Amino acid sequence: METEQLIFISGGVRSGKSSFAETMAADLSKKQGTILHYIACGVASDEEMAARITRHRKDRENASVDWSTWECPDHLQRIANHFSKHDILVLDCVTTLLNNYLFDGNMSDPEHVINVILTDLISLRETSATLIVVSNEVTQGVPFEQPSIRNYQYILGNAHQHIVDQADTAYLVENGMPICKKGAVP
Amino acid sequence: MHFITGGAFNGKRKWVKNHYAQEHCLWLSAYDGNTLKKQCNEALPEVVVLEGLEEWVNIQIDPAILPDKQCREMMQEIEPWLAWEKADSRRRLVIIGTDISKGIVPANKEERMWRDMTGWLYQRLAAKAERVDLIWYGIEQTIKRERF
Repeated sequence: METEQLIFISGGVRSGKSSFAETMAADLSKKQGTILHYIACGVASDEEMAARITRHRKDRENASVDWSTWECPDHLQRIANHFSKHDILVLDCVTTLLNNYLFDGNMSDPEHVINVILTDLISLRETSATLIVVSNEVTQGVPFEQPSIRNYQYILGNAHQHIVDQADTAYLVENGMPICKKGAVP
Repeated sequence: MHFITGGAFNGKRKWVKNHYAQEHCLWLSAYDGNTLKKQCNEALPEVVVLEGLEEWVNIQIDPAILPDKQCREMMQEIEPWLAWEKADSRRRLVIIGTDISKGIVPANKEERMWRDMTGWLYQRLAAKAERVDLIWYGIEQTIKRERF
């Protein structure tokens, strides 16, 4: 078994990135004999978000494999020591984590936010067998004039560059089809 | 000519800086207000990088002129660079343009025009290029390679 492994999966809205991540985790868990964990960063801040969280919970309850869910909105290193090399983790997704830091944590310095996110991910990777990180593609439209949105894209784009650099494997999912951009299919 | 594209904040500039030796490089950036038009003087290094093609398009857009005509004219401004590169096999022209084509259709007419013209210009550049790379968070995918 690999001692530690980081897999990064990104894609547009409804690209199928989450199902791809969950299927990959389930397959790997079977292969490695590891236990599946789902790290949910979403906060039920309004009705829409609450409904999304409920839907995701139900999906995992009805899944053919067993998921343990960890609800943790930020500073994920707090839960890192609960895991061991017998665990495989799915974090879905980086944008939710980023939103929590920016809007609830009131962080504003881009480099600091990027560092905090990387610290979270690295702490999870170090304690688990495999960490699968899911994120979104948000930087390919006409540039926004609002500095807050440019700043958001800057942080997410640069965080993704660091994550891909650290990752053993990286995928871009288009229309349900994964394109392997880095590493080999695990 | 080597055309580099990909979304914003994907590490295109960093990739080019790693790929081409820095010390022999002229770097012209539309983000810094440089003109990308070739000047007539000239003792140029072997590698010339033109950065921010989408911004260069943005500042030149004239809603009174047909987009197709404007796009042709912009391509004509690139031609002297292509001729310069062709004159010596050691020379390399590198062009970086951010992909702005994959978001929601902008409500603003000028922004739609900007998006259209940038896309058309990129098609022309890719057709002229010997090599085209798509950069995704620092990882290149070579989608065209004829010579280097």
